[in-house]
Amino acid sequence: MLKGVDARASSLGLKLAMSLADARAIQPNLAALEAEPGEDARALDAIAAWCERFTPVVVIDAPDGLFLDISGCGHLFGGEEKLRAQISMRLTAQGFANRAALAPTPAAAWALARYGKAPVVSADIVQTLAPLPVEALRLDEEAASLLCRVGLKTVGQLLSAPRSSFTARAGEQAMLRLDQALGRAPEALTPRRPPPPVFALRRFLEPLFSVDTILEATNTLCADVIEKLDLRGAGARRAHLHLFGVDGRDRVIEIGASRREREAKALMRLFTEKLSRAAENLDAEFGIEAARLDIIQLERIETAARTLVAVEEADASAEKISALVDVLSARLGPQRVLRPKLLDAHMPERAVAWRSALNVPPASSRQDGGKMPALQTTPPHDGVMRRPLSIFARPQPIETLATVPDGPPIRFRWRRVLREVARAEGPERISGDWLGGEPTRDYYRVEDKNGRRYWLYREGLYGETQAPRWFVHGLFA
Amino acid sequence: MAAAPLHELGPAGPGAEMAAASFALGLAGAWSGQAGIIWAAEEGVFAEEGAPYPVGLAQFGIDPARLIVVRAAQREDALWAAEQGLCAPGAVVICALAPRRKPLDLKVTRRLLLLAERNRARCILVRPLDEASAAWTRWRVGPASSRGEAKELGAPAFRVDLVRNRAGPAGACFTLEWNAHARRFDELAVDLSAASEHGPPDPVRARA
Repeated sequence: MLKGVDARASSLGLKLAMSLADARAIQPNLAALEAEPGEDARALDAIAAWCERFTPVVVIDAPDGLFLDISGCGHLFGGEEKLRAQISMRLTAQGFANRAALAPTPAAAWALARYGKAPVVSADIVQTLAPLPVEALRLDEEAASLLCRVGLKTVGQLLSAPRSSFTARAGEQAMLRLDQALGRAPEALTPRRPPPPVFALRRFLEPLFSVDTILEATNTLCADVIEKLDLRGAGARRAHLHLFGVDGRDRVIEIGASRREREAKALMRLFTEKLSRAAENLDAEFGIEAARLDIIQLERIETAARTLVAVEEADASAEKISALVDVLSARLGPQRVLRPKLLDAHMPERAVAWRSALNVPPASSRQDGGKMPALQTTPPHDGVMRRPLSIFARPQPIETLATVPDGPPIRFRWRRVLREVARAEGPERISGDWLGGEPTRDYYRVEDKNGRRYWLYREGLYGETQAPRWFVHGLFA
Repeated sequence: MAAAPLHELGPAGPGAEMAAASFALGLAGAWSGQAGIIWAAEEGVFAEEGAPYPVGLAQFGIDPARLIVVRAAQREDALWAAEQGLCAPGAVVICALAPRRKPLDLKVTRRLLLLAERNRARCILVRPLDEASAAWTRWRVGPASSRGEAKELGAPAFRVDLVRNRAGPAGACFTLEWNAHARRFDELAVDLSAASEHGPPDPVRARA
């Protein structure tokens, strides 16, 4: 069965839903390709991705259409009609036969694109839509045929007919579609990507090649976006910079800020770090033709009155640290700039988590809503450390000589060096997580005769079948 | 000593790296204020000595809420992060580098010094002692036995040699004990036999 025919084929009389045998009867040497709906869907998605250089709001109208919401983008292309014409022309240049229509509502645009003669709505939308057949309103077959049977074949006729004179089924859907086309009723469409609350778009008459020109353009976009954010009284937390290449690809640079960012300079700083790092990978040999800066996460700023100078200083310091965290994370990656978080856990290695500093506001690692850690986290009374300054993610096995059954080591070998123990305290028994079947550990704080201090443990008890194993888990000062 | 913007600490020998790092933490704890401590270290350092353990750090007197740790994949990243950290006024930046065959360029340490001076921040550079450096003081740090009853452990102790001192003579050797409550080092012993003739500096008491 034929799923698609090109212009030449349809001029020869081949129609959709005709069987292949009948088609071959009309035109014996036609070229028939197997329909691949999956590939077609992917191609449509790729075209939609390409359209992101015109607007961030692109809706896929399967199997063969797209809606682009270009409100606010027209001026960059010399007007909405010019934008429409350019998109259509460039799609044709890429080898896609297409019809593009421009209208105030998605429904009207759909109708014009598929059934209309002119591609643009003239001043009066009613006038433009009137001559179109009722199928242009996206009615299902039943409703459309019902309307035709009662003599309502065009949209114009539908409009002039009194609303109440239909049967419930055909009537309601038709009325809704009509209202949507005329803009009287809303229509909810789901864009391909959630649209950013604030964005700025620029296109370049000459494609950009060097990192410097791209940075300049980014600077302008940052200024645009900050203006828009200011109008909303908000600051940026996360942003995506899309660089649209002439080759059709979309390169995305992401940045995050640990506080609401209101300065274009600060945003620009983060992008400069990221872009300088990513410069080699940009691979823009054909140039960048457009760029779009999306703010994908923003936060409103409440301005609170500040009265104390000391509070201001503390805040200024916190701001600096926050800006520092942003810059470090932008260049090195958020997983390399960390703050500690103390947790309430039994096993020592689980008493701590490291989080990206972008997500943890300063001076709040103790204020988690949960329980306070049970471990002592202030200096001990006698000034003697009970927990090491560093621990090894994987405890390091050692050979020891110790008195049984639970005495501390007398000497031990670690990293091929034999160490004589001069001082030792313990055991501190930390039982393993019984659910996980982890063995008990007896920890010892041990100092060798050079003054090096270790946190060792023995896993397993003497007298069990397996010989107990010893490890270095951490080091003290 | 507290007034100096750039200090350098090196381990006294193999196995003393932890002592040097801990001494740096002690200094940072003594000096840090609102802005907190930024610890920028190469990954190699963590492999050698273990990763920082915030429970132990808290007992040592370092506030985990004011600590940022940067784990740098390369030496240049650690140095860059340290420079950025020095732009926050009042911050104390510890920059820990792994041993390398090529010594560090004098320009690098000079840049750290300038940034620290300009922003009233302080930088403690922890690495095996090399030749040239713009640091005001350089110390060789090693572990020392703690003072405890019988076989018990005492407070953390260090043996530090002042190898170079821009503000005065060098060569003195101190045994210091860390007082976590007061956040300062207490002097246990002083050995001036290697000090130069102009009289010993007193960096411990000179600390504010």
